[in-house]
Amino acid sequence: MKIYVCCKQVPDVAMTIQIKDGKFISEGMNYVLNAYDASCVEEALVLKEKYGAEVTLVLIGDEAGKEALRKGLAMGADNAFHISDPALNNLGSQAAAKVLQAFFKGRDFDFILTGKQAQDSDMGLAGGILSGLLNLPYVTNAVGLDVQDKMIVVKRQGDEGVEVLHMPMPSLITCSNDMNDPRIPSLKGIMASKKKPMEQVSLTDLGLSADEVLKESQKSSLKSFGLPPARKAGAKIEGDAQTLVATLMEKLTKEAKVL
Amino acid sequence: MNVEFNQDQKLMQQSAREFAEKFVKPVAKKLDDTQEFPVELIQRAAELGFMGVAIPEEYGGAGMDSLSYTIMMEEIARYCGSTSVILSVNNSLVCGPLLKYGTEEQKQKWLTPLAKGEKLGCYGLTEPNAGSDCAGTKTNAVDKGDHWLLNGAKIFITNGSHADTALVFANTDPGKGNKGISCFIVDMKSPGFSVKPMHGKMGIRASGLSELVFEDVKVPKENLLGELHKGFKIAMTTLDGGRIGIAAQAIGLARGAFEEALQYSKERVQFGQAISNFQAIQFMLSDMGMKIDAARLLTQKAAWMKDMGQNYNQQASAAKLYASEIATWVTNRAIQIHGGYGYTNEYNVERYFRDARVCEIYEGTSEIQRLVVAANLLGR
Repeated sequence: MKIYVCCKQVPDVAMTIQIKDGKFISEGMNYVLNAYDASCVEEALVLKEKYGAEVTLVLIGDEAGKEALRKGLAMGADNAFHISDPALNNLGSQAAAKVLQAFFKGRDFDFILTGKQAQDSDMGLAGGILSGLLNLPYVTNAVGLDVQDKMIVVKRQGDEGVEVLHMPMPSLITCSNDMNDPRIPSLKGIMASKKKPMEQVSLTDLGLSADEVLKESQKSSLKSFGLPPARKAGAKIEGDAQTLVATLMEKLTKEAKVL
Repeated sequence: MNVEFNQDQKLMQQSAREFAEKFVKPVAKKLDDTQEFPVELIQRAAELGFMGVAIPEEYGGAGMDSLSYTIMMEEIARYCGSTSVILSVNNSLVCGPLLKYGTEEQKQKWLTPLAKGEKLGCYGLTEPNAGSDCAGTKTNAVDKGDHWLLNGAKIFITNGSHADTALVFANTDPGKGNKGISCFIVDMKSPGFSVKPMHGKMGIRASGLSELVFEDVKVPKENLLGELHKGFKIAMTTLDGGRIGIAAQAIGLARGAFEEALQYSKERVQFGQAISNFQAIQFMLSDMGMKIDAARLLTQKAAWMKDMGQNYNQQASAAKLYASEIATWVTNRAIQIHGGYGYTNEYNVERYFRDARVCEIYEGTSEIQRLVVAANLLGR
């Protein structure tokens, strides 16, 4: 089996996000593998261990993207493609899907996994657009994967419960981070990841021009960033059970007015 | 010296942080309460390669550098002093000297399983009457022709309760003081070797602290580590490396307490507002953050010098001295910011304070560190 996982690098949520004049300050930020994509890598590795497979990572991004790819390789993926070009900075979902379409053209694979969204933008669009451009069967929000009789068995979280779908190969599946608990890369894995193949791919390699990408990117554009309002301090209620309930009831009815 | 981590170090930091948040944080308080050695946790740490971070891959280690090791120590100590010191002893005090002074056979036989985490090591230097004064070592090893015969006792030995292999310093030439000390690799299953767990510690309560007792323990001739009578040098150079790890541990403990105090100050309301709005609290927070940063840079410099093959004796002592003293100060301030709650075990800051305090004592007291720094400054 050949499994491709499309990854994205996102700012480390453990760090303080800084925004100035509506712009995100990227200097000094650490970039990490998107948690939804980490779940895809984990699931691909589980299938690899179960049935045998080659797990390949693909990422569009600058130098910081290499770190996210190395994390996936350290987890156990076999190889990676790093699509990098100055014209590919701050890509919108439409443009990213267009670039990936060019990447997958002529490639042989059984299925493509990608996170159902990225932790930074939470757009959740690239997977769907890519499936359309590649004309692939598509399912969203997977919470479990298996393979039976050359079909991909996808458990997806629907509105009213878990649905089970059988998808043909090749297909594109977007995955939830509820699907699994991604493994922590061991130090051995981290050191081994340096020796795994990571191929650099340019726009020229993909037969695309910067103008084409720019045109796609301009279909939607991000105007500004803002921080959510700071959370107000909470209140600690103390006393015995009777006092706690009485105080809470009073706060809910008179202060919050939700009862 | 580059202040930005390279890719290996960043990935190490992510792995250590994930491990600490997922596995160490949830059990840290329980470990302190029960004083039980965290067997499962250490097995998990071993699977990730945390038992031999800076040991070459050919000897079962991860093949990373000393800076990576400090990164791991800080991330784990951020939640638990006991867990971090268990790793520190195995990495710095046992694997470190085996790599530096061991023969190829000793490295294959003893270092490889320790670096892989298949076995656990402990470091037997301290005795009831020989702590900072190594020359007072009473444990002795007598040459019996085809083996050494070991007698004596060691105290305050971290990992002692669960270790498989001990590095033991013993007197091999009585009357020669430091020049008569040798280091032996001892299989802890050897007949005559017994371990007595020690309880009642103020902090770092789950580190398997024990007394080691040797009664006519036969040690094979090939288990002498380094040269005969040169054990003092092994002990001192080993502690140089160990001090970098303890400095990183102190920083992790300080950081853990600082983060809790910072969060608490934003949530605790007094006089109608979060206490973080008061300058008295802000001044404490700013000093805490500043001291942690300064200690980290000092420690990273010592680790970098070690990685560069430079003499790092002064920097390791300075880092350990400064980091341990600010850890006591920072964790104490964290209690102050928590007020009365900080004095109870309902919050973690009192544990951080208790755990941090020993960093000023073990692997060389603050007074010894000052002597080391002064000796370097004065060229003695």
